[in-house]
Amino acid sequence: MTEDPRLCFHCGEPVPPSCKLAVEVEGQQQPVCCSGCEAVANLILQSGQSRYYQFRTETAIKPAEEDAGIETSWQRYDERHSLWGSPFKNGRYELLLQVEGIRCAACAWLIRSQLEARPGIDQVQVDVATGFVRINWQPDKLRLSKIAAILAGVGYRPHLPLLGAEATGRQQERRSALKRLGVAGLGMMQVMMYAVALYAGDAMGISEGSERFLQWVSLVVTTPVLFYSGQVFYTSAWRSISNRKVGMDVPVALAISIAFIMSCINFLTGQGHVYFDSVVMFIFFLSLGRYAELVIRHRNLQTGLALARLLPEWAELIRDGEPEQIAATDLRTSDHVRVRAGQTIPADGVVRTGSTEVNEALLTGESRPVGKDVGDNVIAGSINQTQTIEIEVTKDPDESAVSVMGRMLLKSQTHRSRYARLSERYAGWFVAVVLTVASLTALFWLLRDTTMLFPATLAVLVISCPCALSLATPAAIASSSRALLEKGVLLTRGAALEALNGVDTVVFDKTGTLTSGRPAIVDVVINPDRDGFTEQKAINLAALLELDSSHPIAHAFAGFEVDRKQVRQLSNHENGVQGRVDGVHYQLGNAAFTGVNVVEFSSGYGRLWLADEKGWIARFDLDDGLRESAVETITALQARGLELIILSGDHEQALASVAERTGIGQWHAEQSPKMKMDFLQSLQAEGKTVLMVGDGINDAPVLSAANVSMTVSGASELANSTADFIITGKSLIYIENILGMSDKTHAVIRQNLSWALTYNLLAVPFAAAGLIVPWMAALGMSLSSLLVVLNSGRLAKRQRRNDIPIQEGVPVT
Amino acid sequence: MSMLYVLIPLAVMLLAVAVWALLWAIKSGQFDDLESHGWSVVLDDDQKPPPEIDDEASDPEAKE
Repeated sequence: MTEDPRLCFHCGEPVPPSCKLAVEVEGQQQPVCCSGCEAVANLILQSGQSRYYQFRTETAIKPAEEDAGIETSWQRYDERHSLWGSPFKNGRYELLLQVEGIRCAACAWLIRSQLEARPGIDQVQVDVATGFVRINWQPDKLRLSKIAAILAGVGYRPHLPLLGAEATGRQQERRSALKRLGVAGLGMMQVMMYAVALYAGDAMGISEGSERFLQWVSLVVTTPVLFYSGQVFYTSAWRSISNRKVGMDVPVALAISIAFIMSCINFLTGQGHVYFDSVVMFIFFLSLGRYAELVIRHRNLQTGLALARLLPEWAELIRDGEPEQIAATDLRTSDHVRVRAGQTIPADGVVRTGSTEVNEALLTGESRPVGKDVGDNVIAGSINQTQTIEIEVTKDPDESAVSVMGRMLLKSQTHRSRYARLSERYAGWFVAVVLTVASLTALFWLLRDTTMLFPATLAVLVISCPCALSLATPAAIASSSRALLEKGVLLTRGAALEALNGVDTVVFDKTGTLTSGRPAIVDVVINPDRDGFTEQKAINLAALLELDSSHPIAHAFAGFEVDRKQVRQLSNHENGVQGRVDGVHYQLGNAAFTGVNVVEFSSGYGRLWLADEKGWIARFDLDDGLRESAVETITALQARGLELIILSGDHEQALASVAERTGIGQWHAEQSPKMKMDFLQSLQAEGKTVLMVGDGINDAPVLSAANVSMTVSGASELANSTADFIITGKSLIYIENILGMSDKTHAVIRQNLSWALTYNLLAVPFAAAGLIVPWMAALGMSLSSLLVVLNSGRLAKRQRRNDIPIQEGVPVT
Repeated sequence: MSMLYVLIPLAVMLLAVAVWALLWAIKSGQFDDLESHGWSVVLDDDQKPPPEIDDEASDPEAKE
């Protein structure tokens, strides 16, 4: 990777050339990009937590300016008991915060060790995957604003979760599933031990007293497992029956009840076999599969939270000339609101007084600020950058653009779950077949030989349990998602990996996806009338002149190594820079600045002219630089036979240039989110399966409407949470890696499914014939599941990343 | 073999204890974050008390 040599020690962003700030780390000076990063890094280092920097696997977020004042702004929450979290015992509260910037385990450690050392905080839990921090605290010893200040002090941005109840519910669900799994597992270990003794007894003889005793103990252990861990299968089977459907759980519930009841009868009468071992084993393996599924599903429910976070919690309402703080959700049409510089605009409205520049990046993807004067419309969620303005609210918060987008998002997500229902219907058929075969078996043995009735029917029910079948896909996906994670790709929706296999069209969003969002030189034109100037020399001169510039354009020249001593009298001006090299005075800037007499039109980042006293020497055409390995990725994708399309909100010229440089033939410029959505849906209507690669909130509905979606690093948090794949690296080549992984996963899923089906088809006739006793059936079922899991495990073959210098950080002695 | 009649009930009691311990651990959230705690083994060594940033503000209340 070719990277800017001076990257911020804390946040990893490039350090502006003019910035001289540094922090001292173990005797060495490390550059930081701004005073915010400096303060955070110093605090971390002085607390003796410098190991955070050694062990983190992701860089931190750049602290925003408003973070410094967070304690003041949170003080208005201090007295609101409802915000303290749910009451615990002894005046303690359990506070749930959504914290921005948690990216790896080292972050969790840093937050925990900072908070837990404070009086008034008992316990802190950090969930790295969701960014939730759960704090057990005592409001009478520590104020809420102080907690926010501590978090901001180490570089994280806390938010009150607006959907905290929902997050808590999810945690409860996960915990109780884990409890059921644990109880079933412990119970299974015991009952299996007794079962070994019983089977050995069958083979080699056992005293009747011992046998009865072992059976009795098995019953004692099985009963709680059945009623505690097995309960979910009953409720779910009941739910599907009362909806007049046959779900997966109907034969499961039937099998465990028959096995348990018959075993009890046999135990009481003292005749025949007991099958308690089959019951617990069955429950355990099923719970295991369910738990894995649950964990994956929860990762997908991250949406609304992030959207709500874009809006400020409070607004400064002006009533009769007096300012008043009210909750942003209480704003109504025609209210007047004051928005200070640096604040987020709380509602859609019209500017009434003042003029300013706002950043609408999150809504439009356009990162350059937009000027707003009296009478201009502003959108909730955009950031007021320069001046205080007063706006008149034109839409209730529910109707604002952000809320509408949120609803679109939810709609496209429910749309998606229809596929899930479809696969459930197939499962229904499978289950119906199993039940029919089981009852036919029962009928047959009822007429033939009633002693075989129960074991044969039970064997059919157990052996044909769609366990391996239902594990086939999730197990493969879980392994490959782990493998992807090690490569730096987060998979948020398991089924996406499967869906990726059918993708035939890839749609790119231009800004920040194919390009890096930073200017780069795309063309150098040398004035033919001037002798002795080469491209290299012109670039060298330009790089020298840009050395001290902090203008974004300077990025284009930052990659070239030059000798600072060659240049003198550098000065920066509004439209360019100038300086003296080898006694000659050079200027670099726009046409007007350098005195070049041409008609300028703007394309991309525009043009720069290099001139001396005799006239212009070279022209640099600048444009948004392509992302790392963009061209290789595009070529690889085209080689796969995929159709590539660029959709962008940008204007024609900029897009044409990107399309030309990457070699993508099909592109559409000036697309609004709505148009993108329509375009996507028309593609899907043609029967295409679409992979969308994008970022930015305006893409969020489109991302979730696409069959599969990916975002690349630098994507806003919301887009992150709706995409199926989140690529954390800078390079686009990950897209190709993911596709390769998807191929492998698909192959493994096919193997798994064919194995599971073959096994069922082979074993069911034997079971029906009474040749397989229930314990063999349960064992066969588990072995078949195990095989599926092991086969899937091949996907996650470890390729350890060596970028964590563990041996350095830990003293050996 | 009569030892079985003592040992197995003992084992069942142990099982009950194990189940109780597991449920308690899950309930107190020890399974919510399985990743970051592993790191504290290598990370926590040289931890010093947090610096006195502006603790004057919260300390008086803390002592009450």
